[in-house]
Amino acid sequence: MDKQLQDKLLELFTGKLSRQVQLYLDTCSRCGVCSDTCHVYASMPIPKYTPAYRAEVVRRIFKKYFKAQGKLLPVLGEAKILDETALDELKEAAYSCTGCRRCMVYCPFGIDTQQIMSIAKLLLIGANSEPEILTMLADMSISKGESIEESKERFIEGLKRLETDVIDKWKIKAGKTPIPTDAQNADILYVALAGAHSIVPAAAIFNAAGENWSLSFFEAVNFGAFVGDPAKTKLISDRIVNEAKRLKVKEVSICECGTAFRVMKHLSGPQPFKVSSLTEVHARYLREGRIKLDQSKFDLPVTYHDPCQMARNAGVIDDPRFILQHLTDDFREMAPDPKYNWCCGGGGGLVALGEETLDFRMKSARVKADQVKKTGAKILATACENCHTQLSDLNDHYKMNVEVKFLSSMVADALVH
Amino acid sequence: MTEQLNSDKELDLKGLPCPMPIVKVSKGIKDIEIGQVLKAVTTDPGSLNDFPAWARSSGNEILDTHQNGEEITFYIKRSA
Repeated sequence: MDKQLQDKLLELFTGKLSRQVQLYLDTCSRCGVCSDTCHVYASMPIPKYTPAYRAEVVRRIFKKYFKAQGKLLPVLGEAKILDETALDELKEAAYSCTGCRRCMVYCPFGIDTQQIMSIAKLLLIGANSEPEILTMLADMSISKGESIEESKERFIEGLKRLETDVIDKWKIKAGKTPIPTDAQNADILYVALAGAHSIVPAAAIFNAAGENWSLSFFEAVNFGAFVGDPAKTKLISDRIVNEAKRLKVKEVSICECGTAFRVMKHLSGPQPFKVSSLTEVHARYLREGRIKLDQSKFDLPVTYHDPCQMARNAGVIDDPRFILQHLTDDFREMAPDPKYNWCCGGGGGLVALGEETLDFRMKSARVKADQVKKTGAKILATACENCHTQLSDLNDHYKMNVEVKFLSSMVADALVH
Repeated sequence: MTEQLNSDKELDLKGLPCPMPIVKVSKGIKDIEIGQVLKAVTTDPGSLNDFPAWARSSGNEILDTHQNGEEITFYIKRSA
């Protein structure tokens, strides 16, 4: 690695060194508690898959360039030079971690490995060594934001083809638009994904609740966050923020996409609107009596997978269970409980990388498959697109014998007229 | 006129959800030479917006798009 690139990467590293991150990098006592908490290590017990090992790859570079001992006596501090080999190790560490933060809740010091891995991801971007697919997808999202006026017509045309499906689920008064867009002063701006599965059930439920809502022109998913690029993450979420401000909406509700929700809720800074997940909105409608559900609609045992970015990392734990109380008499909680639930193994951009990561995703999530099987459930509900894709792959691979369903689609199918 | 477009490679992306059509197209276009044309058929409605945005950000050119029921066909010229 030439000095110019090394200097550039160290500048990027410096930019990530908040007091919080420095504490994480200084603190690890190598107690080993985190090892078994990682689904990857628990499924494939190889030392490089422990959270402490992953963090150590970054920590040794930190010691070499940012600590006096590492600069003067690098051998004593196990300091590591930032070179091509280090980049390979950073990639292995960063892209074998889904950012689920299960290790963090067990760590006696609360070390956030996800934040340490965000340094690794940023260094990889700086060296043009990140998975190029993720950067390509992020660039595509940004490009869409820059040319929204050109694509609005195509988008609205596409929505017209979904209107019949929405009305089939919930009839609306003549003259009302089943999927409104560009509605000024809407109470809710709903940000969906590109597919009909993310739009149709949600639209039917908004209409059933008599909501004053509008569908965003942008998809919720934030590939900038997956690849760990703070600038692109912001550009992608700003598309939605600016639309919400232009329409003067009171609330932005993010579809069943855990990362999109966490980015908007916790990383987009103070905004003049409330941010909620679709799951929280549905629970609210039930509490307020704005929708009613047929509890006999699903007569098979149901379990729920907590998306890490919604539950452990954003606190949406009780609402999905409250909704499920209205959908089934036979809800089976997974063990351990939600805060300590196993990650599905598909986060951190791994699902978006598709077949490239399939073998690793299946091997590294064996504990998740075992956890689901133990419930005896036949319906596996979840509220995240990434998790849904990964759980469907696990269902095929491990023959879990469940039907993987989005919570919102269950709510829409059980609406009582 | 659009029916006469010839392609040098075809990708059947029917049934794949977002973002897989774009993931496969961005890989598939590297299998053809600059100036050659890739034909991609999807059923993902989001691709109507995704493909033009991807083409713009990656420096490629969509020569034609047409729909037949749920199927959407793109002819993409590799330009970068």
